Amino acid sequence: MKIVHKINLANISVIILIALTGFFAFENLNHVLTKLRFTEIADDLNASFLEMRLSEKNYFLYRDTSALAEISKKIGESMMTLESVKPDIIKATGEKNFEGLKSCLTRYLTEVDAVRDSAAQTVEMQAGVREAGQKLREFSDQITHLERSRVNEILSFSKRQLFSSLCFILIAAIGLRYMTFFKILKTLKQIKRVVVSISEGNFRPVETEIPDDELGSVMTAINAMSKELEDREEQILQSKKLASLGILTAGVAHELGNPLNNISMIAQTYMEVYDSLSKEDRIDFMVKIEEESHRIKHIVDNLLDFSRPKKSKSKIADLNDVVLRSLKLVQNMIHVCNVETSINLQEGLPPVFIDEDQILEVLINLMTNSLQASSRGDSLKIITRLLEGDEYIEITVEDTGKGIPHELLAHVFDPFFTTKGNSGTGLGLFVSYGIIKNHQGVMKVDSTEGVGTCFTIELPAYKANTEEEA
Amino acid sequence: MNGQRIMVIDDENIVGKMLKAVLEQDGYNVETFLGGAPALARLQEERFDVVITDLKMKGIDGMEILLKVKKEWPETKVIMITAFAGLDAAVEALRGKVDDFFPKPVKIKDLKACIERLLSTP
Ligand SMILES: Nc1ncnc2c1ncn2[C@@H]1O[C@H](COP(=O)(O)OP(=O)(O)OP(=O)(O)O)[C@@H](O)[C@H]1O
Ligand SMILES: [Mg+2]
Repeated sequence: MKIVHKINLANISVIILIALTGFFAFENLNHVLTKLRFTEIADDLNASFLEMRLSEKNYFLYRDTSALAEISKKIGESMMTLESVKPDIIKATGEKNFEGLKSCLTRYLTEVDAVRDSAAQTVEMQAGVREAGQKLREFSDQITHLERSRVNEILSFSKRQLFSSLCFILIAAIGLRYMTFFKILKTLKQIKRVVVSISEGNFRPVETEIPDDELGSVMTAINAMSKELEDREEQILQSKKLASLGILTAGVAHELGNPLNNISMIAQTYMEVYDSLSKEDRIDFMVKIEEESHRIKHIVDNLLDFSRPKKSKSKIADLNDVVLRSLKLVQNMIHVCNVETSINLQEGLPPVFIDEDQILEVLINLMTNSLQASSRGDSLKIITRLLEGDEYIEITVEDTGKGIPHELLAHVFDPFFTTKGNSGTGLGLFVSYGIIKNHQGVMKVDSTEGVGTCFTIELPAYKANTEEEA
Repeated sequence: MNGQRIMVIDDENIVGKMLKAVLEQDGYNVETFLGGAPALARLQEERFDVVITDLKMKGIDGMEILLKVKKEWPETKVIMITAFAGLDAAVEALRGKVDDFFPKPVKIKDLKACIERLLSTP
């Protein structure tokens, strides 16, 4: 369902609830009004009943027969009023009470007429009148009283009903809104996560099911975008590769130029000064040639590392073990540099599918760089941890060494970029970067000059069924 | 060739060592430096007849040394060693200023001939 529809539905339900409550309140009010109308009528009637009883009293006190005629007249009038408001009364108290009231009146009339018509006017007859009058009063008093209390009941019932409907509407409105917005917020959060990961360069599509609403279309669009970005990145990578091949070739030419020149010069000099050389001197010359050849071999080896077919010896391994092994290998250097080392390895990391020797080389490269950038008393920190989502393991190698100037930061992964003159080839990070890339990982650097440097590696955790192709 | 002074500047240790061995055998007085800064400091103290320097070095490079030497001691000859002869724009800039230049790998026989020639022409 689309979000618009959801919101509309929620709004409509609340409106229906309000209308229903209004309707019931209106009904109650109508009811109360009829009852009130009845009590009004009843008050009128009661007043005339009272007058009748007064006339009755006059008759009994003064034997005034005209009082009886008065009563008859009043009864006739009341009868007429009663008939004229019949529908109102029936509506308010029901047919039975109406008939009851009417028969009380009729009986009273018959009794009064009987006394008027008979000459004898016996005591029994008089008692009959009195009794009928009393009955009429009592009956009408009783229903008036009853209806009054019913009005009160209805009013307090309406009050309660209104109050509880109000609460219900409030809860329903808030609840519906919350449910709708909760879902929207959840999806938005998911989208945010994807966008953040895209901005970090991971073009992984959203894996959760895509809702069938506006946010769903946003997610589909983002997925399409990240796919497009991935394709583009590949193209860019391709051209970058060509560019770095250019840098590489120029670098190789230059790097190899020096040792080749050296060998050539040693050989020429050897020939020039051969006669004056002692045996040791001659051996020394050859040793120098040997050294220079080694220098060339080192460069070529590094280049081979870079172009070596990936993951030739990959197997399932524990990254923490590899970290510990690499530490052992640089232990001596750490000791010499007098740098304080701390490690923080998260336990229970999932395994990784790696060429251990290559990863070892990367770690040694990073630690060597850190140690070379550090001076006595600096510290080196190595941390492994599982990243959120359980898909990647992160290794950080952090030092408090001299740091990398901001303008050089972009070049540290370039082949032959070095600030160490002839003692560094500038291939360490270049090769490391290639190795991590071949492992479907990511390598990043962050550094502040004078504060320290932090290299971060992310390697994918091994999933038993998905890594079979490697 | 009796005791003429030659300075060799190259951050490659071997270059200095080898040239020193060859040139000293020919009777020159050779001093070697691994960088521009100490070389210039030494030049302030003493005259040299020939300065042989690598073009590309960290810090003070061959170009800077050339300009400084030609300005302060015009009679001192400068020979430049370059990695890519002809390719480098810097090499073009050297033409006319430098007395001669040699691409790597350096032919020592040619270099020796060159020094001889430079020192015999006043
Ligand atoms: N931890 C670090 N602290 C400061 N600078 C660093 C650090 N790591 C690398 N660098 C800089 O990056 C450059 C390139 O490093 P890279 O490992 O590629 O080559 P290198 O160390 O110079 O040579 P090699 O690895 O062959 O010894 C270094 O010369 C140095 O300037
Ligand atoms: Mg390194």
